[in-house]
Amino acid sequence: MSKVAANGGGGGNKDQIPVVVGGSSSSSGGGLRYPSNGKTIYHRPINRSKTTELSQASFAYLFSEMVSYAQRRVTGIQELEKRLNLQGHPIGLKLLDLLLIREPPRSQTRPLNIITLLHFLKNNLWTHLFGRQADKLEKSLNSEVPDQYMIYDNEPLVNAYVSVPREMNSLNCAAFVAGIIEGVCDGACFPATVTAHSVGGKEEGEMWPEKTVFVIAFQPEVLERESLIGKG
Amino acid sequence: MSYYFAIIGTQDNPLFEYEFGTSKQGGDGQPRFTEQARHLNQFILHSSLDIVEEVQWTNGQLYLKVIDKFFNNYISCFMTGSNTKFLLLHQPTAGPASSATGATTTSSSSSSRNSTSVGANPTSPQTEEAIKNFFTEVYENYTKAIMSPFYKVNMEIRSPIFRQRVAAAGRKYL
Amino acid sequence: MTIFSLIIINKAGGLIYNRSFHEGGLSKISTNDYLVLAGTFHGVHAITARLNPLPTNNRLSSSGTRPDPPSGLEILESENFRMQCFTTLTGIKFLLFSDTTQTNVDTIIRRVYEMYTDYVMKNPFYQLEMPVRCDLFERKLLSYIREMNSR
Repeated sequence: MSKVAANGGGGGNKDQIPVVVGGSSSSSGGGLRYPSNGKTIYHRPINRSKTTELSQASFAYLFSEMVSYAQRRVTGIQELEKRLNLQGHPIGLKLLDLLLIREPPRSQTRPLNIITLLHFLKNNLWTHLFGRQADKLEKSLNSEVPDQYMIYDNEPLVNAYVSVPREMNSLNCAAFVAGIIEGVCDGACFPATVTAHSVGGKEEGEMWPEKTVFVIAFQPEVLERESLIGKG
Repeated sequence: MSYYFAIIGTQDNPLFEYEFGTSKQGGDGQPRFTEQARHLNQFILHSSLDIVEEVQWTNGQLYLKVIDKFFNNYISCFMTGSNTKFLLLHQPTAGPASSATGATTTSSSSSSRNSTSVGANPTSPQTEEAIKNFFTEVYENYTKAIMSPFYKVNMEIRSPIFRQRVAAAGRKYL
Repeated sequence: MTIFSLIIINKAGGLIYNRSFHEGGLSKISTNDYLVLAGTFHGVHAITARLNPLPTNNRLSSSGTRPDPPSGLEILESENFRMQCFTTLTGIKFLLFSDTTQTNVDTIIRRVYEMYTDYVMKNPFYQLEMPVRCDLFERKLLSYIREMNSR
C-alpha cells in the first residue's frame, strides 16, 4: 500500500507521477537485484519443452547432501524424516501452481475432492517429478483408519542409490517426496499428513526391493467438507 | 473507470495491491478513486472473501467471474491452485473515464447496460473475457514470483518487476 | 571362467570391501590377514609405481588434460589364478581375482567401478574411506558377478 499511497495520494492531484511506468525501470537499481543481462525469471517462458531433462547423477549427489544435511544434530529417525519432509513441503506448495498453469486451459481446474486431488498427484505431479506415473493408488481397507489413502511407487527415484544402514532400517528417505505431496495437499486446502514407508521384501529375488508406500492421512475437516460437498 | 486489484493470501492477508484506471477508449490509466473510496475499497474487497469461500467449493475453475457486488462496485475473483485469491474491484461509470466518480453509493450503471465497451457492463461476456485475460497474465507472473527460493507462501510480493508486469497486463486488457 | 573375489582398498591402504563369489568356497584366511594383505599390496603397488625405468613427464599434457598417474602393478598371474588391479584417479584400488581363463576382466572391473560410484558414492550414509556397507551395492554386484560366472 505504501507505494500507491505515496504517489497517488490526494485524489484531486491530476498531474501526479504515474505509480509505475512499465518496462522502463528494469535497468535501474543494478547490484545483485537484477542479473547483468536484465533477464529476470519474469522474462522467461513458463512452459518448458518436453525434452528438458536433468542429470540423475547430479540430482543423486544433491539429494545425498540434503540427507547428510538433515542428519546433522538429529536425535532420531523420526526427526530426520521430519526434516526431510520439511525440505519437500515448500516445493509441493509451489509446484501446485506451476503444474496448474502448465495444464492446457481446458483442464485447468482446482481439485475439489479427494479423488481428483489423488489423481492429480498420481498423474501430474509424478510425471513432472519422475517422468512416469505412480504405480498404484489405494484406499485403506483397515476399518480403524478408513480415510487413509496410499500411493505406491515401486522404485522411488530418490532412493535409487540410497542404502539405509541396518541400525536405521525404519528410515525411508522418500520422506522428502512425502513432504512434496504434503505441500501439494496443504496448498490445495486438503491439509494432510503424509509419510513414506518401505514395503519391499528384503529377500533375494524380490521384484521391487525398494517399493515404497506414501500414506496420506487427511485432517478430519477435509473429510467433513468432502461429505458436505458430496451432498450438495 | 478505475480498478483496484489485490492478491490475498491463504490467511486472508494481503500480498499485493495495485490501483489503476482503464487504458481503453482514451483512458489515461490513472485511478480515479476519491480518498475516501480508496479506503473503502479495501473493506469491500475483503468482505467479498466470505463469498469466495462459498463459491470456491462449487466451481473448480480458476476464474470465478463476478462474485460480489456492493452498490456500483463489482468484484471479480480468480483462485490459484494454492488458494491464493486475485480480486479485482471494478466500478463501471456512465460517462467517459475522465469523469471522476469516486462515490461508491451512486449506482448509475443502468444507462450503460447496452454498451459493449470493456468495463461499462461488468457482467457482459466481453468484460468477463478481458478480466480473465488480465487474471491469466497475472497468474503466470505470480507463479514466476513464487518460484523464487526466497519466497515463502503468504509473503508480500515486493518485486518491482512483478508490479510492472501487472501494470502492463492492466494496460493491455482493461 | 570364474570370478573368485573382489577386494577394494582405499587410498590409505585400508581394506574397505572384501567379497568372495565362488560358490564352492575358497580357501579361507582370517579377516586380520585380509587387512594385512591389503596393506602389503598397497605398499608393493607404490613400489612398482616408482620402478618405471622411463622418465615420467608430470607436466600437463598439451591437450590440457590431467596425465595418468604412473601406474603400478596391474596384473598378477599365477598358475591357479589371475589378479587384476584397477586404480582410480582418487587412488582407490579394485582387485579382482579370477581364474586364468577369464576374459574381459577390464570390462568387468570397470563395471564394478561404475557400481561403486553409483551405489556407494551417491549413498548419503557412506562415509569416505570407511568400510563399504551398502545393501544396494552388494545386491547389484552379486547379481552382476553371478551373471558373469554363469556364462
